[in-house]
Amino acid sequence: MTDHGTLEIRNVGKRFDVAGQTVAALSDINLSVAPGEFVSIVGASGCGKSTLLRLIVGLERDYDGEILLKGNRLAGPTLGRAIVFQEHRLFPWLRVEDNVALGLLKSTLPADEKRRLVREHLDLVGLGSFAKAYPAQLSGGMSQRVAIARALVNRPDILLLDEPFGALDALTRAYLQAELRRIVRSEGITAVLVTHDVEEAIFLGDRIVVMQPRPGRIAEILPVDSSSQHDRASPAFAHLREIVLNGLGAHHPVLPGRLAA
Amino acid sequence: MTNLELDRVAFEAAVADQPDKPSGGQVAGRLTEGLRTIAAALVFPAALLLVWSGASRLDLVPAQILPDPRLVLTTFREFYATGELAFHAEISLFRVLQGFSLGASVGLVLGISMGLSQRVRELAEPLFLAIAQVPPLGWIPLVMLLVGIDEALKVIIIAKAAMIPVTINTCKGIRNVPRNYREVGEVLTFGRWLTLTKIVLPASVPTVFTGIRYGLTNAWLALVAVELLASSEGLGYLMVWGRQLFQLDIVIMAMVAVGLIGFFLDWSLGLIERWLQRWEVVGT
Amino acid sequence: MTAVTTTSGISGKARTKQHWNGLILPAVLILVWEAASQFGIVDARLLPSLGTIAGRAWNELAEGRLAVDIAASLVRYLTGFAIGSALGIPAGLALGLSRTLDRCVGPTFNAVKQIAVFAWIPLISVWFGVGEAAKIAFIALAAFTPVVVNTWAGARSVPRDLAEVAQVLTLSRWQRLTWLAIPSALPSIFVGLHLGLIYSWLATVGAEYFMTIGPGIGGLMTEGREHFHMDLVILGVVLLGGIGLGLNRLATVLETHVLSWKQH
Repeated sequence: MTDHGTLEIRNVGKRFDVAGQTVAALSDINLSVAPGEFVSIVGASGCGKSTLLRLIVGLERDYDGEILLKGNRLAGPTLGRAIVFQEHRLFPWLRVEDNVALGLLKSTLPADEKRRLVREHLDLVGLGSFAKAYPAQLSGGMSQRVAIARALVNRPDILLLDEPFGALDALTRAYLQAELRRIVRSEGITAVLVTHDVEEAIFLGDRIVVMQPRPGRIAEILPVDSSSQHDRASPAFAHLREIVLNGLGAHHPVLPGRLAA
Repeated sequence: MTNLELDRVAFEAAVADQPDKPSGGQVAGRLTEGLRTIAAALVFPAALLLVWSGASRLDLVPAQILPDPRLVLTTFREFYATGELAFHAEISLFRVLQGFSLGASVGLVLGISMGLSQRVRELAEPLFLAIAQVPPLGWIPLVMLLVGIDEALKVIIIAKAAMIPVTINTCKGIRNVPRNYREVGEVLTFGRWLTLTKIVLPASVPTVFTGIRYGLTNAWLALVAVELLASSEGLGYLMVWGRQLFQLDIVIMAMVAVGLIGFFLDWSLGLIERWLQRWEVVGT
Repeated sequence: MTAVTTTSGISGKARTKQHWNGLILPAVLILVWEAASQFGIVDARLLPSLGTIAGRAWNELAEGRLAVDIAASLVRYLTGFAIGSALGIPAGLALGLSRTLDRCVGPTFNAVKQIAVFAWIPLISVWFGVGEAAKIAFIALAAFTPVVVNTWAGARSVPRDLAEVAQVLTLSRWQRLTWLAIPSALPSIFVGLHLGLIYSWLATVGAEYFMTIGPGIGGLMTEGREHFHMDLVILGVVLLGGIGLGLNRLATVLETHVLSWKQH
């Protein structure tokens, strides 16, 4: 799964025609994701972060600039890029294991190999004993874990996540954030996460990409290098959060002298 | 600073750009889209018509099996000019409205009483359902023996056809008035009458009206069947007559008339339904 | 105001009482009927006693004629329904999944389906005669329309978010059809099949009136009417009702079974 410069986004822009006018949803996006890296993209609604993700996964194909995966230009979805949406989007008429197996429908592996992979990935997300259940029997958090398993079962080069925990309650969200971090680290997965939750972005990311809207562009990119910055309880975390919020253009009263540069 | 405030910033930003009224270019765009839809819809029937007239002209099919479409058109014009088509169509229309009014009224009364009273439902429902199982056509021989083949037969069968869906849907509509609304009535100390007139009946209108629409459709269906079997005027009779003379042009003309009237009846009810439900919030 | 009670909220004892109450009216009706015919209040020809009807039923059964009629009706009903559905489901899927077909063929279909189904009988009788083929063709036509309409609606409303998943997983057209489109349209397809069952049965009875060659319940009733044998006619009515009820039950059971993933 490791390759030099896994994802390259160069001078990418995206324009939409809305009510006869051209709106630039994205402009001048440049980003490089290294293998095994976890990049968090954070920004308010309307900054184009979801659009960017859809461009990367291939659901939208019309854009300016280049997106390269492992050096190859992208045209439409391939199994090398997997995505977890905000809704779990499981097929309600398929059992959990069949939903995960959907990810392998296009692969040419032998059947028993596919079964093994499905079982492995269900265990990875902690739902091994729910293989035969139907999505309607699962909670929101569990369904989203199945969606993650479905995305990973193909061993993609890169995992994309579009506000994956946005629809869940706060407790489940915290739990799944920890789970996602565990899974990503244990498998060495390259990932790009889009979220409007700043704390989630810092908790999970190795780098934080701050985006601003109209046009959607990258305002700054912040590294998260010390392990203390990942710890929610630490002052380093809070400090980084302030910087990110500032970068997002959200103004709030700050005691003079509190923010060090 | 919380995420809530972050979203507020975004919200204010989004509210700032609102799309304006459609520009001239957009209106033109929508027009061509509409024309394209109509054109697409006409391609297939035009092709069919071509094949049909081609087959007739080349005598590939005998005229008794498939008349020339131009003949159908001529026949239509003739019948229209002599007023014969209008005559039969009016008779059919009048019959169906008669039968439908009878059946729908009975159905409403029955449905309302069954919907409001558990007792009535317990008593009447099993028998009603048993009768409903037998299709309206199934009653024809029975009713024929009892009242002969005059108007009474047709009205009764058509009424029965209309009554069943109206009763079922009215009963369902009344029973399914949400508890919430009824509770509002209780809190506002509505009596039985007020609850009925202000809450139950208005809330049940959508479902009841669905039943009425089905009832009219069924009534029209039954009318055609009954007229085919036992009638000396009406569109059904026209078809039987044309069939016996092997003049399929008459048959086809009558079929088109049946289709048009059937469509018109349902469409009119659809308009009334939309007017009745103008208070309905989009999406509920 | 009578309280609204649902069946699940009633105790077993109350439910039994419900069932007994339901039998009151029919029982009264039967009593009145028997009395009327026994005491000659109504002409025995118009309203034969239950005994007469039962006796008639027994006779017909013994002669084997009843079985033949019922079997004949059921066979042509099921055949017609099967043909109509087998043609209707692919047609509905095609209309729902292909925008071109939806726009080109759809409006024509919607226009032609306005013609009340019985209006097709004269035409069908010319094209197919008055034998089995004609009846089955008519029954198939009656099933075809609701099956197409509902399958079409179901195929059109494949959820967009699931369609995107299929895109991302690079599923082929055929895979999208079998794993996504058809299962998602299945509830609608079943509604269509259920309606098709009902309309086919209506059409069966109708076909037997108009195309009178061959055995069948409709023929039984027509014969009864022509010879003023009311008991035969009533027997026919009871048979129709009973079979209709049985079919309805069957359809509901099948529906619940196949769509079991929805119950949870």
